[in-house]
This record gives sequence, structure tokens and C-alpha cells, in this order.
Amino acid sequence: MNTFQGKLGTGTDLTSGAASTGTTSVRESVSDRHPEHAEGDTIVSLDDVQRAALAIMRNVESVIDGKHSAVQIALTVLLAEGHLLIEDVPGVGKTMLAKALAKSVDSSVSRIQFTPDLLPSDVTGVSVYNQAERRFEFKPGPIFANIVIGDEINRASPKTQSALLECMEERQVTVDGHSYRLDRPFTVVATQNPIEMEGTYALPEAQRDRFMARISMGYPDSQSELAMLDSRDLTSPLVQIDPVVTAAQLRGMMTAARGVYASGAVKEYAVAVVRATREDRDLRLGASPRATLQLIRAAKAQAALHGREYVLPDDIDALAVAVLGHRLVPTTRALGHRSQDSALLIEETVRRILAATPVPTGVQGRL
Amino acid sequence: MITVTGTSRAARPARRTRPPVPVRWPLSLMLLVLLLAGCSALGSVLAGSAWWWVLLIVATVVLASAAGIRRARAPAALVPVLTMGVLVLLLTLLFGSGTGLLWLLPTGDTLTVFADQAEAGIVSIQTQDTPAEVFDGILFLLAVGVGVLAILMDTLAIGLRWPALAGIPVLVPIAVPGVVEPDGAGWTALVATAVAYLVLLRVEVHLRPPAVDTAGPVAPVGSDGVALRGTVAIAALGIVAALVVSSSVPQYGGAASGGRSSSALFGSGITPMIDLGDDLRRPQAGPALHYRTSAEEQPYFALLTLDDIRGATWLPRAVEPDPENTVTDIEIPPGLTQEVARTTVTTVVGIDGVATDLLPVPVPATSVAGLTGDWFWNNNTRSISSADSTTVGQRYSVTSLELQPTREQLRQADGRYPIGIEPSLVLPADTPAVIGETARTVTAGATSNYDAAVALQDYLRGSDFTYDTEAPVDEGYDGGGADVIGTFLEAKRGYCVHFASAMAMMSRSLGIPSRITLGYLPGTRTSTVIDGLNRYNVDSHDLHAWPELYFTGVGWVPFEPTPGRGSIPDYAQPENSAVSGQPTGAAAPQVAPQQNDADGLQTDSLSTDTTTDDGVGEILLRIGLVAVGLLILLLVPGVWRRWRARRRRLRLADGRADAAVAWQELTDTAVDHGVGVSDTLTARELSEGLLARRGVGDTPEVTAALDRLLVATERTRYARRPAPAAAGDPRLLPDLDTVTRAVRGGSSRLDRLRAVLVPASLSSPVLRRMGLAGDTADVREGAADERTPTGA
Repeated sequence: MNTFQGKLGTGTDLTSGAASTGTTSVRESVSDRHPEHAEGDTIVSLDDVQRAALAIMRNVESVIDGKHSAVQIALTVLLAEGHLLIEDVPGVGKTMLAKALAKSVDSSVSRIQFTPDLLPSDVTGVSVYNQAERRFEFKPGPIFANIVIGDEINRASPKTQSALLECMEERQVTVDGHSYRLDRPFTVVATQNPIEMEGTYALPEAQRDRFMARISMGYPDSQSELAMLDSRDLTSPLVQIDPVVTAAQLRGMMTAARGVYASGAVKEYAVAVVRATREDRDLRLGASPRATLQLIRAAKAQAALHGREYVLPDDIDALAVAVLGHRLVPTTRALGHRSQDSALLIEETVRRILAATPVPTGVQGRL
Repeated sequence: MITVTGTSRAARPARRTRPPVPVRWPLSLMLLVLLLAGCSALGSVLAGSAWWWVLLIVATVVLASAAGIRRARAPAALVPVLTMGVLVLLLTLLFGSGTGLLWLLPTGDTLTVFADQAEAGIVSIQTQDTPAEVFDGILFLLAVGVGVLAILMDTLAIGLRWPALAGIPVLVPIAVPGVVEPDGAGWTALVATAVAYLVLLRVEVHLRPPAVDTAGPVAPVGSDGVALRGTVAIAALGIVAALVVSSSVPQYGGAASGGRSSSALFGSGITPMIDLGDDLRRPQAGPALHYRTSAEEQPYFALLTLDDIRGATWLPRAVEPDPENTVTDIEIPPGLTQEVARTTVTTVVGIDGVATDLLPVPVPATSVAGLTGDWFWNNNTRSISSADSTTVGQRYSVTSLELQPTREQLRQADGRYPIGIEPSLVLPADTPAVIGETARTVTAGATSNYDAAVALQDYLRGSDFTYDTEAPVDEGYDGGGADVIGTFLEAKRGYCVHFASAMAMMSRSLGIPSRITLGYLPGTRTSTVIDGLNRYNVDSHDLHAWPELYFTGVGWVPFEPTPGRGSIPDYAQPENSAVSGQPTGAAAPQVAPQQNDADGLQTDSLSTDTTTDDGVGEILLRIGLVAVGLLILLLVPGVWRRWRARRRRLRLADGRADAAVAWQELTDTAVDHGVGVSDTLTARELSEGLLARRGVGDTPEVTAALDRLLVATERTRYARRPAPAAAGDPRLLPDLDTVTRAVRGGSSRLDRLRAVLVPASLSSPVLRRMGLAGDTADVREGAADERTPTGA
């Protein structure tokens, strides 16, 4: 929505653009029009995906003011079945975003507050001896939920972190030699503070790679901040949020997003961009092939969000910073004296790469 | 860090921007004005004004191409080099005489031509008095000089950013008149130059960017005032120096202004015949004089007569000028009687390059008007000379007689010779016998002196003899001494001196008084007509020697024994016209065409020595032809682009092309109209760039059309195939036309013109491949502004 706002969107975008100024009627219409979807994982058309996504976004944005693009990427990641890392200074609404997103979907949500003494079994669950049945019985941990909010993930010890990240990649939990599958949808929304604060363990590169995207919230503008003061005065805004889609509907949306078509030209473009990060003079570590995969997947989800049945190079452009940024490591030379600004430097670098990578059109020749 | 990551791609930064291009057209323009103001000072030493326009062209092209090269972002050090290349191309075009490849690229021949031009220019400068006629050679030197000065000034003022020093090269053209002329350069030119210089400095200060000079080699900001004062001081100094130089330097010897020592004509006057040979052998003819005449037959111009054979050459008989014989009234020549038919003709002569104390006049002259200095005539030698003046710069009008003796009059001239004619009959004692023998053999059967003379003339003009200025059979062959003529009659090769001497000696051996006249042939007719009379140009290759024989009752009668040179007088034409092969006979003796034109040697020398009027015309013609060629060449891209647009539209109309083609056409149109497009832009980014333009984003129907085109294009490019309704969409063409019109309408007039004439879409793929494509920053900036992250 962000990039395609206004007149230039596709035809259906126009209607949604108008609807975004509407009220909760859209949200209601979604649940009204698809009562049958509540029961199962049924086929959802792209138009419905767009409508539902819109409803979720409205929901979330009623809590988070003025963070449209962050919300959109968060939703894109949710739809693409990826995991999201929200990295920012305390107090800008990281956790609020995660909670609002989770609450908009009628699904199981759990929240893990990571602390230095948190153990892996606190995340995955433990087998406990059942005296009555005289056998070990698996008590699922908080990871067994559709949406898991991992708060301040970098405060946990590396051991716990890796336990979580293993679940994220494998989408299953192995305890005492027994594997338990995690239900779809399964999305981890983790938050962390970016700078080395007291008692934190930074996520190593290999583990950051597991997240599909990283976003930061940024401070709200003065207008949004004022509005926030008015709306949050009395109650927590989260109370007002009702779920707008069911887990089954979300699964349907995910399926629909996977079905979005990515043409050869777009794939070429994604590969070209990712490869360029590996050869860039300012980057010590480029993006992995997994990054390419996730870039395309996220692009598909974003196309679905806009009700488009094909991916555009613009989707790649829009997501590249979020999807690639946290996987890249700048050279110390490029970083120079701005060691605190590595995220900014990486963002600049990715944008430079995007600006320098030719966009394939898939059309041969110039007539 | 505190910004929203993952926002739109519209927030992409513009690509690395390069420093601003230091193109400063006003400065280039002021340099042009300054240089040409300086060159106008040359007006006091050069005649006419056509040269100034050629210099204008040269300076304009040089300065404009320097600015253009800078604009194309060539490295600063390369600019003078490339500009020098342009100057060479231009000189080849203007002065290469078509020897250049495509008239532009110099070849080996061009270098030869240039060398010749330079040499001719130097000779021309040395031989001419001021104001000098600007011949091709001088023009070439001027053009080279001005071109180099322009490059120097451009480099100083713009390349090195020392505009104050740009005044120094201008001192060159200002100082030249001071060296040559006693009065120096005209004060108007000096004032104009000074004003132009001050304006240049003012313009430069004005153009100087406020605070970015730290990178440049300029004085740091803040010292502007000091710098300005300094430049003004230098300027004042320069102007004062120019004034002092031009007024105080004494006239530079006599050489440049016509002393005899540097003359192309007879150096000392002692051995004129030998010097004449040298003059004829000069590779480049210098201009001698020009004239207009009312005579039917173009006259020979006589300088002096020689009748004293001494040693190896002929010398003028020593006669003191008689102060009584002023040129306002010259006696008729001795021996001429009233029976001889005559016409009085007037000839107006202007001296170009003759520098001597002898006046070239048609013979026999009866009066000369308009001369400066005291000039006297001598009835024996018929020469007009001055003790205190020279021919340099003279413009005068000669009244002379055109004699038409009949053959009968000449045949019957058998009376007694007057007293004092004896020296004209003397042959040296050691004269080779071959001269007399040959004369008798040739004239066997002649019944009168006249018939003998015609027989001698025909013999020498016959096919046995060859005209050859390079003919020195051995050392000392120049000149007309008896030994030499003996050799000549056997070798049968030589030039006018030999032919004239041979005829004169053979005549003397037969008892006919004879002498030799030195002077000029009638020269070449030009197309310039003044007062109904054609102007004729005579150059140093027209120097000539011819014999005069004395006939009682008629006096001294000239003959023309040199083959291929001059024209035979009517009375000396052979009656059966068997020998000369020229159109002769009683029917048309008077209107014999200018034989010079058919003469190989003459034509050669003339074609390389066109004078200013013809030269400038030819140069302008050449420029015109090249301009037309360039124009046609310039039209090619526009036509090609139109043809391509038309073909695409036809295919769209037929439904044979899909939206991608429509988009390509739209992209090309945008590129043509100055929208920065690169292949790193997505279709959406381009359309956002277009929306930022006037007439597109603010017009709903255009926006809708652009939107439809964009969606159709994306569908064609990226959707699953077969794309529905991608090809043959009937709305594509109208939408394309709508947007194209809007893009065109939103462009400046200049952009529109450029889009038609030099469509950038044709060249940009090539340039891009070479890494020279223009910045695409403007599109990105247009889209980026509204989307700056709020949290930053």
C-alpha cells in the first residue's frame, strides 16, 4: 500500500485505497462474507486476501500511529510464513506492533519474555513424569502457538536463542528424541534492542539469517505522537482490538500468496540484487541463497497483499532493505567511524545496489 | 537507525552525483568578444574586413567547442587538446583546399598545403605594405594565430580559472599594429578591447559560485575584492603597455614597409634578369599589382628597358633622371610618327607587392596621375623612376597609347636609324657564332626587317623550344648574356629572359636595333567589376621580359618570342597563322582571348593563389556545403526516430504489438524530452517520474491513461502467460497518444526541438553501454521528496 498508494496502483488498488479511509465496516464485511472459512483451510481469492490484509492493517494501525510501512512489512512477513525481527530502541512500540498483529488474527498467541536465565525448555516445553499414567508426558512450551512474540530476544543466552531459532527454521520441536510439529500458521515476531545494552547477547549472523525480515520502527512524527497521547490516555488500545481473520483464513491467505506468480525476469532481478550484495565493496558478508528464497517469497506475499497475481520488480525493491539488511555485514573500512550506524550504512548500500541493478523486462529486443 | 527501514523504493537516494560541470557560456562569450575586439586592432594594418569574419568563425568554433567538450565532462586536461583537434579540423575545412578526408580530416596533402599557405603568408607579409591585402596565406596565419589564442584564453580563463590572465594573449593582436605602423592600433579597437576585458572580469566574478571555491585553484573566498582589484590592476597595466608599445616602438626598419632589400622584385637592380629568374621560380606567387584598364588588349607593364649587353647579362643604359621630366606630361616615344594608328587608354593601377623605385606602366605612357613622391621619366629607357619614393602602396592612373601599326607600315620602315641608336646594335665581341648563323638560317627569304623579326619570333615560339623556368642547363644559365644565349639556342630550353635575349641578339646580328624590356604580363582577370571594368590581378609569376625592335617611323615595337606566355601583338601575328596555333588571323585579332588562361603554368600558379575576394567566397561556399551536409546528417536521427515511432504505432493499431512495445515507445518519448531514464528504473519508477512532470500528474485523464499503460505493461512483462488482454488491447494506442501528448506538452520549447532533431532515445542505449549515460537523478528526486521517512 505504501508504495502503490493512490492512482498508480492496479485497478483493485484504487478501491482499497479508498477503503483505507473507511471504518471498521471492511473488517466486518470480511468476517461476514466468509463465515465458512472459519472452519477450514479453504481457497481464498486474491481480492479477499487484499481485503483481509487491509482489515488487519487498519486494526494494527489503530494501535500504532504513523507506521504504515512497518506494519505493511510485518503483515507481508506474516503472510509469507516468515519470521519477523523488530529492532529498535525501547519504547517505540515494537511489542505493541507484535501484539496488535497477533491479536488481529483469531489464533493462539504466546509471548515469551527473554531473560538471561531463560532455559531452552522454557521455550520448547518439557517432558514431565505423569505419576498417574507412569510415563513422561510432554508439556508444550510457549513456542506452540500460531504467533509467538519473543520479546527482547537478545537478552536470552545463546543456548536458548538457538533453541528458538531451531524451532523457527524446522517448524518443529524435538524434545527427548520426539518431534512435535508446530501448527500453521507459525510466526515468530521477535523484538530486540539494537545497541549493546547491559546484559544482552547479540544474535549471531547465522541466526539472524533465520528471520525473513528485520524492521525498525523509528520515532513517530509529532502529529502521530500527539494523536497517540489523546487515544492512549485512559485504556490500553489493545483492548479495543478484535480479531479480523481466523487462523484458517490466514492459512488460506498464505496459500494464496504462495500461488502468486513470479516471472523469470523478476527472479533474475532478485538473484541479481542478492548477488550484488556478495560482490559489493562495502560488504564483508553478502546475503545467502536463503535470502533470495525469502526475498521472492516475501515479494509474492506483498503482491498478494495488493491483490496482484504476479510479482513486480518494485516488490523486490520495496522489500530488499527489510529482507536483506540484517543478513549483511559491512566492512570495517566502509563503516569507518560510524560504527553505531551500521544499519543505516547497510540500508544505503542496499539502496545503492538497487539503484545500480538493471531491471529485466522479460521482453526481448526493442522493436 | 531511527528511520523506518523497509520503506518504499521511492526513498532510494539519487545516484552518486558528480560535481557541477564548469560550463560557463557567458564567460566563453565574453572571451569571444574580447578576442575579436583585440583582433579588430589589426584593421589598421590589414585591408578590407572579410578577414575579420573568418576570424570570427574560427574563434567562435574554437570557444564553443571548448565549452561543449567541457560540458561533455571531458577531463580538464584534455579540453585544450581536443579543442586543438577541432581547430585542426576547422583549418583543414577552411584552408585545406579540399585535401582533407571529407574536407575535415587532415591528410599528408593538407600538411603540404598548410606549409605552402604559411610560406605564402610570410612572403606576403614581408612584401606588402600596410594596409596589406589579406591573401589566403595571411588569412591562414591569422586563423591559426586566433585559434591558438582562443584555446589559450579558454584554458586560462575557464580551465584554470584565471580570467585576468586571459587578457595577455589579446595583447598579441593589439601589439602587432604598434610594431608595424607608426600610429599603432586604432584607439577605438583599444578602448573596445579594454571594455571587453573589464566586462569579462565582472562576468567572471558574477559567475563565481559563492562558497565552493575551496576545491579550485582560486583565491579563497573573501579575498574576492583583493582579487578583483588585482585583476583590474593587471588589466590597466596591459592596456597601458599596449598603448606604449604601439606608439613608441619605431617603425620596424624598412623591410616590412617596402625597402628594396627585402623586395621580391629585383633586389639590387644590378642584375635584374638573374633575379627575374629567381622570382619566376618562387613556389608561391606573391601579388604584384592589380589594375583596371579601358584598353581592348590587356597591356604589358614595363618597368625598365635593358640594351647594354655586358658579360653574362643585360643592363639598363645608364641615364640620369631628368628633373624636368615630370610624369604629368610624358613625351611620345622617339621614332613614332603620326601615321601609326593609336588609341588613348586609361589604366588605373594599384600596387600590391611591387617594391622598387621603378613604376610599372603600360607602354608607351603619356601621363601618370595620383602618385605620391617625385617621379620622372626617361625618354630613352621609357622607365619612370623616383629618387625619393617607392612603388609601395601607390595607387595611380596611367594614360597610355595603344599602338596599332599595320604590317605594311612595318615592312616599309626601311629608312635611316636616328642618331644614338648604335648601342642597340652592339653585340659583344665574343658572341658565339651560332647566334648569327641561326638568325640567318631562320630569316632566309625574308624581304624586310619586319618579316625577319616575325620569322625569328615564330622560330622561337615553334615546337622546338620548351618554356622551362627550372631550365638552368648549368650554373649561371640565368641571365641573357651572349654565352648563355648560345647555349640556349642549342639546348632549346629556357624562359622569357632567354627567349627575349635570343631574339634581341639575333635581331642585332641582322642589323635590327633591339633591346629588352622587363615588366609584367597582363595577369589574370577576376570577377570583380568596378565602373564597368574588370579588375586584373598581376602576381610575381607574371614577371616577364620581352624584346623590342626598332622600326623607322614606328619606333620601338615589342614582340613576344616566349612560347606559352603573353600574347603576340596583332602586327606580329604570322599571316598564315601556321606556327603559333593560336586563334589568329585578320578576322579576330582584337578579341583574342586571354591566352594566360589556357597556359598550364599560369593556371597552376593562379589556382593556388586566389586573392581575398575569391578566397573568402570559396571558403564560404565550402562552409556552406559542409553545413548542408551536416544538416542532412543531423536530420537522420530525427527521421529514424519518427520512423520507429510510426512503425510501433502501426503495429499497436494492428494488434500485433503488446503493451511492452507501447511502453518502450513511451519510454523513448520520455527520454527524448529530457526525462532521465536508465535501465535500473522499473516501469513504476518511470511513471512516477512522468507524473512529477507538468501536464501529466495534474491531468486526471492523462494519469488514468498512464496508469492503464503501466498496468498493461507490467502484466505483459511479469504476469503468468498467456497474459489476458495484453496484446491487441484497443486502448493502448489512444492511451499512448494521450500520455505522449502530455509529455510533449509539459516540455520546454528547447526540449521539444531537441526531441524532434536529436532524439536522445537513439543514442542513450549506446551511451549507456559506454557508461556515459546521463544521470537519472531527476526522476528519483521527483519521487523521493514526498516520501522522506518521518522519523528521521
